[in-house]
Amino acid sequence: MNKNLIRLAVVSFIAVSIPFSPAADDTRLTFDHYYDGPAVLEALQYLNRTYSDYTELRSIGQSEEGRDIWLFTINNPVTGRDTDKPGIYVDGTIHGNEIQAAEVCLYVANYLLTSYDTIPAIKELVDNRSFYIIPIVNVDNRARFFEDAASYSIGRTARVPFDDDRDGLADEDPDEDIDGDGEILQMRIKDPFGDRKSHPDDPRVMIRTEPGELGEWRVLGREGIDNDNDGRLNEDGPGYLDMNRNYGFKWQPPYVQGGAGEFPMSARVNKAIADFVITKPNICFDFAFHNSGGLIVRGPGSKLAGHYPSSDVAVYDFLGEEGEKILPGYRYIIGGQDMYTTHGDFDEFMFSNLGIFGFVGELFMGSQERYPSDTGRGGDESYPRGRRETSKQKFSDNLTQGTMFRDWKEFDHPQYGKIEIGGWRPYSSRIGQPFLLPEMCHRNASLVLFTARHAPDITLELLEVKDIGNGLRRVRVRASNENAIPSLSQNAVRRKIYRKDMLTIAGSGIEVVSGGTVDDLVFDRVDYVDHRPERIFTSIPSFGKRDIQWIVRGRGRATVTYDAIKAGNQSLTIDL
Amino acid sequence: MTKMTKLIVLSVIVFSLALYPVAADEGDSAYKTPDQIKRILRDLADQNKNNAQLLNLGKTVGDRDILLIELKGSDATAPAILVAANMEGNCPLATEAAVELTELLLTEWKTDLDTHRWFIMAVGNPDGYARFFDSPTHASFVNDRPVNDDKDDATGEDGPDDLNGDGFITQMRQLHPEGGWMMVEDNPVLMKKAETDRGEDGMYRLFEEGIDNDGDGRINEDGPGGANPGRNFPHNFRHFTTTNGLWAASENESRALLRFAFDHPEIAMVLTFGRANSLREVPSGSRGVGATQDSYKVPRWMARRMGVDPDKKFPLSELVEMAKEFTGSQDITEDQVLQWLGAGAATKPNKKDTPYWEEITKRYKDFIKEAGLNGKRLDPPDFSSGAVEDWAYYQFGVPSFAVDFWTVPVKEKEEKKETGALSPDEIEKMSNEEFIELGTEKIGEFLEAAGVGAQYTPEMTIQALQGGMITTKKIAEMARKKEKKEESGGADEEDQALYDYNPDAFVIWQEYDHPTLGKVEIGGKIPYADLAPPPAEADSLVTKQLPFIRTLAGLLPQVAIEKIEIAQRSRDVWEINSWVVNEGFLPYPTHQGERCQRPTPAVVTLDRGSAALLEGKERQTVGLLDGSGGSKKVSWLLQAGRGSDITISVNGFSAGTAEQTVSLVEGGK
Repeated sequence: MNKNLIRLAVVSFIAVSIPFSPAADDTRLTFDHYYDGPAVLEALQYLNRTYSDYTELRSIGQSEEGRDIWLFTINNPVTGRDTDKPGIYVDGTIHGNEIQAAEVCLYVANYLLTSYDTIPAIKELVDNRSFYIIPIVNVDNRARFFEDAASYSIGRTARVPFDDDRDGLADEDPDEDIDGDGEILQMRIKDPFGDRKSHPDDPRVMIRTEPGELGEWRVLGREGIDNDNDGRLNEDGPGYLDMNRNYGFKWQPPYVQGGAGEFPMSARVNKAIADFVITKPNICFDFAFHNSGGLIVRGPGSKLAGHYPSSDVAVYDFLGEEGEKILPGYRYIIGGQDMYTTHGDFDEFMFSNLGIFGFVGELFMGSQERYPSDTGRGGDESYPRGRRETSKQKFSDNLTQGTMFRDWKEFDHPQYGKIEIGGWRPYSSRIGQPFLLPEMCHRNASLVLFTARHAPDITLELLEVKDIGNGLRRVRVRASNENAIPSLSQNAVRRKIYRKDMLTIAGSGIEVVSGGTVDDLVFDRVDYVDHRPERIFTSIPSFGKRDIQWIVRGRGRATVTYDAIKAGNQSLTIDL
Repeated sequence: MTKMTKLIVLSVIVFSLALYPVAADEGDSAYKTPDQIKRILRDLADQNKNNAQLLNLGKTVGDRDILLIELKGSDATAPAILVAANMEGNCPLATEAAVELTELLLTEWKTDLDTHRWFIMAVGNPDGYARFFDSPTHASFVNDRPVNDDKDDATGEDGPDDLNGDGFITQMRQLHPEGGWMMVEDNPVLMKKAETDRGEDGMYRLFEEGIDNDGDGRINEDGPGGANPGRNFPHNFRHFTTTNGLWAASENESRALLRFAFDHPEIAMVLTFGRANSLREVPSGSRGVGATQDSYKVPRWMARRMGVDPDKKFPLSELVEMAKEFTGSQDITEDQVLQWLGAGAATKPNKKDTPYWEEITKRYKDFIKEAGLNGKRLDPPDFSSGAVEDWAYYQFGVPSFAVDFWTVPVKEKEEKKETGALSPDEIEKMSNEEFIELGTEKIGEFLEAAGVGAQYTPEMTIQALQGGMITTKKIAEMARKKEKKEESGGADEEDQALYDYNPDAFVIWQEYDHPTLGKVEIGGKIPYADLAPPPAEADSLVTKQLPFIRTLAGLLPQVAIEKIEIAQRSRDVWEINSWVVNEGFLPYPTHQGERCQRPTPAVVTLDRGSAALLEGKERQTVGLLDGSGGSKKVSWLLQAGRGSDITISVNGFSAGTAEQTVSLVEGGK
């Protein structure tokens, strides 16, 4: 087969068949369609142009195939530098086939910017937070989803060649669009001893045979040819390096964690993002959007990562449980316990290595794209057999006019002879129907905004100045946080990842004699520091406060400064 | 009071110091700076254009080049040996050895390049190594990445200070109630930690020489730099230390080497020149659960499907059989089962690799004896996290050896008088089971005589042995350490050895008026004195040991086609049986290589011309070839006219290639 010809056919097919590209003359963002690679960039450029005072668009590096990784920053410079405000990081599509994650990222950016003038709560957020948004992490394979023959299940990997079948050749046996329709579908072959048969009510659907039944079909797998003649089909496609297993916290090699890559951050995009993230220590929360499942996931992702400190878990629980209400049907879960073990994922890297809270958002719920009354749990095996599939067909037939599924069609396979090709098309199964996009985007963006609102806002106030005699005065100040996210995670404090928040008192006419943290105001218990009493290192907890005490000699004006890595800076002037 | 007098007397003695590390301008007798090494390598590459190429793999944070020289002969694709020297930056002899090896391979040993290429990184940590030549000298060898060690509002603000201006950062001691340290009896310089449980009262506090620059009450807690690339590799990496780096491969130096290695699958072996030595004995690996147990539980969800007891542990061999039955496949390997069990990364050398390794250690010891270098010396340190040599074996899957070229010699001691209890040597020879069989009484006697401490009761020791937490070897080691300490008046073994070797390696304590501590004394070990011999000794040490490194290349696996049998099955149908063998000493891949799925096993391809293929594959991998003649049979059934030629080729990647053409005739060779 001529690959170029196939590609050509694919491109032209996509051009005519997918009604998802936005109208060219309207650059305002709409969320009733999918943005392909260039369109995402155009959308970001449009937002950057339109809101140039508040936004920055730049490439933080290039992928294996030379595509730029675009970072979109939202910050109001009038209210301060981005790094002086709590930062919220949002990315999407680390797995190239999970395309709708980019739409959620675009939605967040668009919502914040277009509503700044009209919604006071949004103005408040934009003025007091910085947002770092990378809509497409896996720039290569998300682009290829639109450019190449696609399947909802192809393109998770980074485009780093890998010898999956360990035969000395890398990527030599990929999936192929053998019938040239621009999509990678399923292949089946007639076989009376096969383990599938056609559903009596809907012949498009196959069900498993039961003991005593003869079969009708054998499923061969995804469309393709056994290019390397090793008796296995499509077993060595492009990659496989899973960028969400290539990050640095307790990274495990590929023989322990499939898809881990050669070494931590060996993929270019991972390196670029890690290098970027450590330049923004103000980031206090991150969202990484994936599909699918309808989940809000937190770590730990593996036993190796250990337990999270209980005060950090409380923060997660507060936000996650609220998230379940903002996103009806979504479940808030712990990745390593409720799903499966992962090593080297982004979320663990951010929390365990860098002390930054974060959620993985698993977009898309399959239950939304079936006839609800027919939705039984247990899949094909449940009674009546194939109910899930037939109800999905009905949804496709009656809500998408049958465009989610391609009916089986005979094809003469060069190796297997007469077969049939058909099945669920690229825009199905985990990539949602465009008419459902706006609500999904809005609800997920709402969780991002809710969380952003709960980034630490520290209030600094004077509690007392008390003359304690002999020319000495006791000064007590309070730094409090009415939000869920503390100024530093307990994990960051324990592992000494950052400098802690610094509270200092200074004044030309004063001498600081003693200083410490007031552990208990009522019982008057103070934890004094041994050195440099003018400077107290601390952190401000979730929904809590720290009281600081100094004993000073002298008169005049003194300034108390609060200086935090993740919770901004501020000061208070006291007249002594 | 006598102690105090002695102290004062000693402090006023005027002394001379043997100054090393020696500054670069002192000619041949000096160690070479990273810049000098760079010039030497560049000249070598210029003078040997056909055989050498100097590659720049990147820059350090300190803006130094990360250099690697490639040496090659007639075959530009020959298997290669990667040498990573001085990754930790504190081992000048490793760098000298790497340069000397480069020079030898381009002159006297040039013919070696016809069979193997060499990739030599002479200075793995250029920033850290540059510190070796700094004045004042300070035993720090991290790279120049800024690290805020004390997590305050400044980075690198509280490094050491050469208060007495002698060019060395040594130690400060001060008589203080907090104490903890005391002088070693009859020794003018050595200090030891007081053992309060033996009634010792430590009168001194001990600090590194310096002042508390940032006034936080701690001295020298945030010096310049950095991370140590030699601890930054991804096998068993340890997070959250101040010097290991932020994550594995976070440093430019380690990343450059990793990238280079993975881009060169022809690398057949990795040699680390540094402070560790894995040729003296097979490393025991790191402790840990996971892939090193002998038996495992089946995860609950899998156990239910397989119908086995999830609470019972099964031996690995039995689990393989269970997995074969469950999957209906006969190709299940132990490694696959370990993966399914989620057993985690390997932590100990594969049992099937160790016999090869043991043979090599035997040869190494013989060689060292022959070279007259078998005198007693301090044990090289045993690194357990993030080391290059571990990564090369456990993740890169190739034979990997670490070699040091020197540690401080240890003065031979006279024989110890006999006691009734067993000696450490006797214990070491016993297996764990034999030791346990001695019974609690005998073990108790030994433990008491060895004085390993009251915390080790016989019962606990037996439990620890059974649980795999300790071995007889480890017990013997502990006993020996204790023994040595007793002999040297309680001085630390390393300190005492260095003192015996060169008393001038210590600065005699002298009074100093410290700005914040008040009256202190400055003195103690000169930085690097224990890490490198005087430069004058370097050349001979390296020249004597490099021939063994040369012989390691001769142990590499090498694929060959040993035999091809042709039988006529029918008129024009031919059965071909061929045997691919490994003519080298080492297996290909290593057994750990099979576990970590790299490198690729040898691939056999058949060029059958116009013959039709009835059975067999045109291209196939043959799996692991054991060392020293290990073989795999590859067969085909072809239909072709008599006399047709076929060609069988083997690509062993880093184990060479082979090819044979035969004609289809009855009884062909």
